Amino acid sequence: MLEIKNLKSRIGDSEILRGLSIEVNAGEVHAIMGPNGSGKSTLAQVIAGHQDYEVTAGTVTFKGEDLLELEPEERAREGIFLGFQYPVEIPGVNNAYLLKAALNAKRKHQGLGEIDAFEFLKLAKEKMATLGMDPKFLNRGVNEGFSGGEKKRNEILQMAVLEPELAILDETDSGLDIDALKAVAQGVNALRSPERAIVLVTHYQRLLDYIEPDFVHVLSQGKIVKSGDKTLALELEEKGYDWVKEAANG
Amino acid sequence: MTRLPTDALRDIVGRLPTTRDENWKYTDLSRARDIASRWLDAGCEATTAEIADDIDRITGSIDATWFVVANGALQLPDRVSGLTAERLSAAPAADGALAELNAALLVDGLRIRIDGTPGKPVGLLFIDGTADASVTQAYVEVEFGANASGEVVEYHASVGTSDQYANTIVTIGVGDNAAARHLRVQDRARQHMQTGSTTVSLGRDARFASSSFDLGGGLVRNDLVIDIANPGAEVSFDGLYLAGEGQHIDNHTRVDHRVGPAISKQEYRGILNGKCRCVWNGKAVVHEAADGTDADQANHNLLLSEKAEIDAKPELEIYTDDVKCSHGTTVGQLDEASLFYLRTRGLDRQHAKQVLTHAFAAGLVSRIPVEAARGGVGTLVEARLADILGSDEDFT
Repeated sequence: MLEIKNLKSRIGDSEILRGLSIEVNAGEVHAIMGPNGSGKSTLAQVIAGHQDYEVTAGTVTFKGEDLLELEPEERAREGIFLGFQYPVEIPGVNNAYLLKAALNAKRKHQGLGEIDAFEFLKLAKEKMATLGMDPKFLNRGVNEGFSGGEKKRNEILQMAVLEPELAILDETDSGLDIDALKAVAQGVNALRSPERAIVLVTHYQRLLDYIEPDFVHVLSQGKIVKSGDKTLALELEEKGYDWVKEAANG
Repeated sequence: MTRLPTDALRDIVGRLPTTRDENWKYTDLSRARDIASRWLDAGCEATTAEIADDIDRITGSIDATWFVVANGALQLPDRVSGLTAERLSAAPAADGALAELNAALLVDGLRIRIDGTPGKPVGLLFIDGTADASVTQAYVEVEFGANASGEVVEYHASVGTSDQYANTIVTIGVGDNAAARHLRVQDRARQHMQTGSTTVSLGRDARFASSSFDLGGGLVRNDLVIDIANPGAEVSFDGLYLAGEGQHIDNHTRVDHRVGPAISKQEYRGILNGKCRCVWNGKAVVHEAADGTDADQANHNLLLSEKAEIDAKPELEIYTDDVKCSHGTTVGQLDEASLFYLRTRGLDRQHAKQVLTHAFAAGLVSRIPVEAARGGVGTLVEARLADILGSDEDFT
């Protein structure tokens, strides 16, 4: 589904990704772990199409197509969802409006008609209930005055409504209390299916207690230096990232 | 009506402010002088245009007790409740060429007094429509008695393609412990001009909340002057100006804190697209005896075109120590992080821009203090924004 080969990317003068390769297939859950500054968030932003990150080498294909040629909104409509580490507050645009506009943009791309108001409300409320969100959040400004946990739940709500083929969740677990973490994990697990893939970008092993990954990769200095199964995450937790760095260098 | 000799009128017109006056640096009234001269040449006569439908449309859009000043002539409502109203034959003498022009050419003035709590807002519709160059004046005094609580809507409109210049003076007195909620909507024809002043004075513990919307007009200058001479006053006022191709909208505000404690807060926002120019000049003067003053002013502008220009100037003059004053001014484009966020959700760049622009305006619509008018003004703002942005989508 997603194939990245020898990807190099920089922001301004600093090179952050230095030859990263990874392949993610439908039905798989990957965890990308690594110390701060290793390039985890950059990878997520490059896949989503942030204009500040310049791709200087390598290829990224999604469902066989050159992803780098697409605008961010085209990537979204093709089925890529980025859960932000720091979701933006947008006062004056209500959550319901954004959810509906996002869903309709995707439906239009798929050749479907717009969802009617009643169906939309039913869908949104149903998804909110499973995430333990109060329906009143629908009428609030997007992330406006939300706590850290509420913002992350809101990201997962958007993901649940949009049902992407590839979800990339950037540090979705950071700053969450245990209840919010469980709700987020439940939202992610509900999306797991043989047709979809999920990439969890995280610093800590904690999230992986609730979402069991098929593959764990360690990112260091812009490259994947080690890959393994879920036991790698436990090993990292125990030995720290220096162990991987040393192993990679030695 | 007894009118000054034409020569005396020409003298007043000749003394209207020019860009050499610091206060009028960015707003050039040459065209107003030109319109006034041609109108004087024509014997102060102009063929009236059909405006009855527009009067019905506007007075029907907000449930209020409407006083209509059409081409300068006052139509009193059939009946009023909770207030008294009287026609004035003259405006009091005042300083400055604009006030002199107003007094010299006034057809009908109006004085309204509100005691208690009237059931409906007082609506003041100033509407002009002529087929030839014309000049109109309006003068209204609104007095809120002690402990009164009520609402005033000023609605400025015009129709027609002729040159038209309106000069309006409104004064609002808010008595001790009274609460006045005020809305001003300016939706004049795109080639028409206006100078307007609203002067507000507050009694002890009086409250004044106001929202102002400039949607139309070719060249518009508003002066909002607020005088706090009694302790305990709470004042908040917002303004939104939407300017498209060829428009010039100038908002000058001045708050005098003469005594404390008192609070004044203002927030003006502007959305500019195409070749246009807006001015915001917010002045707060905290006088020597005004300890305990809390004055805050903010002005935020979205410039959506390289040809749009804003002159934004906060001015604070503080002559005492125990005060809390702040101001903030921003001029810029839409927030890139917000745009990217919306695009990652599948909205294309143009759609994302429109959503953010509408949100910027919606913030002030939701704060309109006259509840009966919020929906109607919201619709007007949406329509005008769509017009400026070149889109007809509903973003609510």
